[in-house]
Amino acid sequence: MSFRFVFSSLLVLVSVSVVVPDLVAQDDNKTEPTEAQISFFNDEVLPILTKSCFKCHTGDNVKGKFHMDNRGALLAGGESGEAISVDSPEDSLLISAINYESFEMPPSGKLPQGQIDVLTKWVQMGAPFDPKAEKAVHQEDGPPQVNEETKSFWSYQKVTRPEIPKVKNKRWVSNAIDHFILAGLEDAKLKAPSSATKTAILRRAYYSLTGLPPSPEQVQAFLSDTDPNAWEKVIDELLASEHYGEHWGRHWLDLVRWAETNSYERDGNKPFIWRYRDYVIRSLNDDKPYNQFIMEQLAGDELDQVTADSITATGFYRLGTWQDEPVDRVQELYEDLDDIVRTTGEVFLGMTVGCARCHDHKLDPFPQADYYRFMSFFHGFNRDIGGSQVPIATPEDIQKQQAEITAHKAALEDLQNKIKVIEAIVIPDFQDVEKEEFKHEKHKIPLLKKRVPGKLSEEKFNEYVKLKEEEKKMLAFKPKAMSTAMAVKEIGRNAPETFVLIRGSAHARGDKVEPAFPSVLGFDAPELTPAPEGINSSGRRRVLAEWITSAENPLTARVIVNRLWQHHFGKGIVKSTSDFGFQGDRPTHPELLDFLASELMDGGWKLKSLHKQILMSSAFKMSSQSNAAGVKADPENKLIWRQEMRRLSAEEIRDTVLAVNGSLNPKMYGPSFYPLIPQEVKHGQSRPGAGWGNSSPEERARRGVYIFIKRSLPVPFIKAFDGADTDTTCPIRFTTTQPTQSLELMNGEFTNAQAKVFGNFLRENTDSLNEQVELALNRVFQRKPVEGEIQLGVDLVNTLKEENMDDIQALDYFCLVALNLNELLFLD
Amino acid sequence: MSLGSKKSTGSFCGRTRREFLWEAGGGFTGVALAGLLGDDGFLNQQAVAADGESKFTNPLAPKEPHFTPKAKNVIFLFMYGGPSQIDTFDYKPTMYGMDNKTVDVKVFGRGGRRNQGRIVEPRWKFKQYGECGKWVSDLFPHLSTMVDDIAFIHSMTADSPIHGSAMLMMNSGSIISGSPCLGTWVNYGLGTVNQDLPGFVVMLDPRGGPISGPKNWTSGYMPAHYQATVMRSQGTPILNLNPPAGMTPKVQRKLLDALGKYNRQHEETRDFNSDLAARISSYELAYKMQSAAPEAVDLAQETAETHEMYGLDEKETSAVGRQCLLARRLIERGVRFIQIYSGGNHNDANWDAHGDLMHNHTMHAKETDKPITALLKDLKQRNMLDETLVVWGGEFGRQPVAEYAKGTGRDHNSYGFTMWMAGGGIKGGVSVGKTDELGSAAVEDRLHVRNLHATILQQMGMDPNRLSYFYGGLDRKLVGVEGADPIQKLMS
Repeated sequence: MSFRFVFSSLLVLVSVSVVVPDLVAQDDNKTEPTEAQISFFNDEVLPILTKSCFKCHTGDNVKGKFHMDNRGALLAGGESGEAISVDSPEDSLLISAINYESFEMPPSGKLPQGQIDVLTKWVQMGAPFDPKAEKAVHQEDGPPQVNEETKSFWSYQKVTRPEIPKVKNKRWVSNAIDHFILAGLEDAKLKAPSSATKTAILRRAYYSLTGLPPSPEQVQAFLSDTDPNAWEKVIDELLASEHYGEHWGRHWLDLVRWAETNSYERDGNKPFIWRYRDYVIRSLNDDKPYNQFIMEQLAGDELDQVTADSITATGFYRLGTWQDEPVDRVQELYEDLDDIVRTTGEVFLGMTVGCARCHDHKLDPFPQADYYRFMSFFHGFNRDIGGSQVPIATPEDIQKQQAEITAHKAALEDLQNKIKVIEAIVIPDFQDVEKEEFKHEKHKIPLLKKRVPGKLSEEKFNEYVKLKEEEKKMLAFKPKAMSTAMAVKEIGRNAPETFVLIRGSAHARGDKVEPAFPSVLGFDAPELTPAPEGINSSGRRRVLAEWITSAENPLTARVIVNRLWQHHFGKGIVKSTSDFGFQGDRPTHPELLDFLASELMDGGWKLKSLHKQILMSSAFKMSSQSNAAGVKADPENKLIWRQEMRRLSAEEIRDTVLAVNGSLNPKMYGPSFYPLIPQEVKHGQSRPGAGWGNSSPEERARRGVYIFIKRSLPVPFIKAFDGADTDTTCPIRFTTTQPTQSLELMNGEFTNAQAKVFGNFLRENTDSLNEQVELALNRVFQRKPVEGEIQLGVDLVNTLKEENMDDIQALDYFCLVALNLNELLFLD
Repeated sequence: MSLGSKKSTGSFCGRTRREFLWEAGGGFTGVALAGLLGDDGFLNQQAVAADGESKFTNPLAPKEPHFTPKAKNVIFLFMYGGPSQIDTFDYKPTMYGMDNKTVDVKVFGRGGRRNQGRIVEPRWKFKQYGECGKWVSDLFPHLSTMVDDIAFIHSMTADSPIHGSAMLMMNSGSIISGSPCLGTWVNYGLGTVNQDLPGFVVMLDPRGGPISGPKNWTSGYMPAHYQATVMRSQGTPILNLNPPAGMTPKVQRKLLDALGKYNRQHEETRDFNSDLAARISSYELAYKMQSAAPEAVDLAQETAETHEMYGLDEKETSAVGRQCLLARRLIERGVRFIQIYSGGNHNDANWDAHGDLMHNHTMHAKETDKPITALLKDLKQRNMLDETLVVWGGEFGRQPVAEYAKGTGRDHNSYGFTMWMAGGGIKGGVSVGKTDELGSAAVEDRLHVRNLHATILQQMGMDPNRLSYFYGGLDRKLVGVEGADPIQKLMS
């Protein structure tokens, strides 16, 4: 900025007509500038540069890495290559840029022709500078480089199974996990943590594994089970429950930016994308090995054994936002690819590779070329969403459909023969005009009727009418459509060539690159093997997926076990669960992380056994209570001296309300349902109500994981309680506290309707107000309420009745209060 | 830098750092402290975790700006659909008499790119107004009296001439879906001074919302308390504000009292978790909103003269009039950012004049001219204009040439269009930038939507190139990673 003021007085000197001819003849790159050149530079050129160029191209933070501080830097150019061609000055990038023929410089508006002429002459001279005006280029701290030092970063090292640490207090220890936790606590001179109450840990386990509360009966059964294996039995039951897949499926859907529409102006639906959601839930319930889960999602169409499941899994590529009306069609493909690169990098690898799209990653050692090498695995991607439906019918289904079609054809022929027999009776009787008319379907019955009785008996005619009706029905027959899934497709067996795109622009190609893994991890470039014959894709995604799932990959296993830990303990061992890079958090328990990762890989990548191991630990059962010693030694609870309280997620709150009032519909899978959205919210759409369907009350009582997710119309209840943002991967949900949540729960349609259902449930169970309140609180708290708590509810109902309110309304209002309780929303 | 070291670690040790981590970028980020507002006080207020460990502080509590602000509030008058610059404020005298002439001009709209077009000369006469002598078209008989308080920007450019992405650009700075909106950034940066009312309010056209609906007021990757609240000037002002039918205030109070008792009992043994207390008080806050919001929207408190001034008594102007008057009342009560949509739905229900230009612009100008002028005058007479930044404009402008072989319809144009600003430290009576002689593209002092956003943040006391939010491995800014300068020529 200061340049402007310093040189502003020079502006008056600008005069475009004065160019001394002999100056132009100078063409020497090395010799000192002549005095005439220096004064030309100072008088003519410098004022223009100062006014229009220097602000962005000198000093700190220059644009496009193009420094104009001195002649050497100027000649060297920036990201887009050499700025001035000494050999052929007319072809200089600087000249085309100021003429708005390549770049448009300066961006605030084209220079007057006179100034363009001055700069052109100057470039033709070889861009002489006044040495006194030259300044040193400001050296900025560059991004981290790929070198031996950065390669030794903790998360880039291969997973090795650690020794299990020794601990003093062996009584506290339930399994290996506890050794790692307790060792840290003992080092910090902290006592072994106390355990939470049985009811608290049961509740914690139910929510951790299924996202649902235990019923009073389930609580009672656990409390009265004296079997030493009671806890293990509960965990086994919960892991076997299909609700496990629904709950953990929702966690996965957060990561893969799950939604069922495209965003943007039309926000069109993604047909049958719910099959991907079902695939996720089924895979988790079946305890599909995590490496297979990855292979299917990234390359399910390129495997040796392509199945309906593996095709459906590639819906992963179609989940993101999709612009149907791009401003720049060439660029848009790279927006889609960027979404895929970012999501893949962060979700599977905990690497923010996407940040190297326009420049070298500023915080991690990922050069820009690494981004494009990584992107090239996906470069064959066909963004045409219209052609993304792929048949997933089984051969049996296809055979069945063929049989159905054949049978239908035969039956129709048979019917039409019968019709012809009757028609044959009257046709000879037709006059010419009637013969014409008879060609039209609508005249047939009237024409026959004309001849009843007479040529045609009443009986025959009636039979004819019946046959025609049946024919009509049969002609309307459509064979049952074969199932399709929204899946990935490529443009062919050859992926396009990939170039580094300067500043991420599809129109500015840099060097050509080949598929390779992030260089800091030190892997050799992969051998590209074509996809199996008959598969119309490059096979590159499979190569990438095989690398991601290889035991050599230092990140994949660590990242997923950390996500498991995150959801069981409220935060990951690496708190930044999708960023294991330089700016991410360091693991609080690196050995434990590696232990869990080793367990996962050695156990065939099965997740359920790992969940079980975590839940069987004493660490999981810790109390969430705070204590002075803990706070003093470790206020951030990094060492894990207690469990952390957590508020339920939006879906968990909704599911819990439905579970405690007894109306939860356990129906799994299939198309999503539409919760009620108030009219005033729909009014915010340009076509109010467009794209939002109706579902029956039964459907609306299904679990939150089956809610239809429309990007431009979030369900207010879910949004208020911090549902996942759908446009990008969401590794951790926010937990906000805000008055809109209170308005939603206290005044909103959902809780008020559910409070009535709850009231009915209570009334069906007992006539006694005391027992109704007790039952309600028992279900809400998932523990037996104490006397004072029951009395508080009874008192409320009684004072409400003093307001001329009937029993039903008063109890329903109490139910509304019960559904608003903190103890329902928070887990100890 | 040394291996894996973190910038400024020293200042974010212990509790403060931890609280920060939960807020910035979904509670999972590493650092990015340098780019943020960068002081402990600010970060202190960002805790959102419910882990029973972080101290709860309201993230919308007022925060210190980077420097002394010129403006405290923003009213963004969004002319959805895109008003035509050469028919409103960008006077092109040589265009008169050129009707139907074919001209070489590069245009890009919903109909694609073209290099030639049939001129539709401006359909309204322009006259000079005010001391500054600003040329304004006859579409705005009222607003033209205020030109000495207004700064016009004639050289606006945007990245997209397609509604969906252009709306996202104007509201969130990016044509890609998923970024937080301008009002979100302002509330994130500054908080709100009135906890009984939302800090970011959107009012919609009675004909419907804009294309992409709630995407235009989303908090994107930021937490939900920064998203806009849609407010209505008639009926229930805010979603779920009213208790359900049949629940009297007395009954509601009883319910809240019982709820409070239960929740305090629950909290007794868990007092280390300040989120529980926060949730208890959020019910009281909601209860207060139930009376504060209806009070704010109660326009009956205003005089008959005020009603008349805003055009509440005329059919055409009553909707925008109510919204403008409500906007004034809301900023009086401390609402930080208000966006009013003129135009909704599709086709001629907004400024998108593809068909009959005269019909379309006459209608929308009529609906807005008097109320918007009243807003400016009213703010001025109450000495509120100095602290209130008023912004006017659409997601783009329109072409000087016809879209079709016949008729006056104009297609979209993001190569050059006009917006204006008033109040909040903006110089009045000035015009910045120029389009070419057709009015088709900005040629002088070309400015981008990012410059507009930078100007708004700057006037609100925030450095647009410093206000950042760490998300997905990157310091995100409203003005993009490259940054953008505020428009200095507008500043008084």
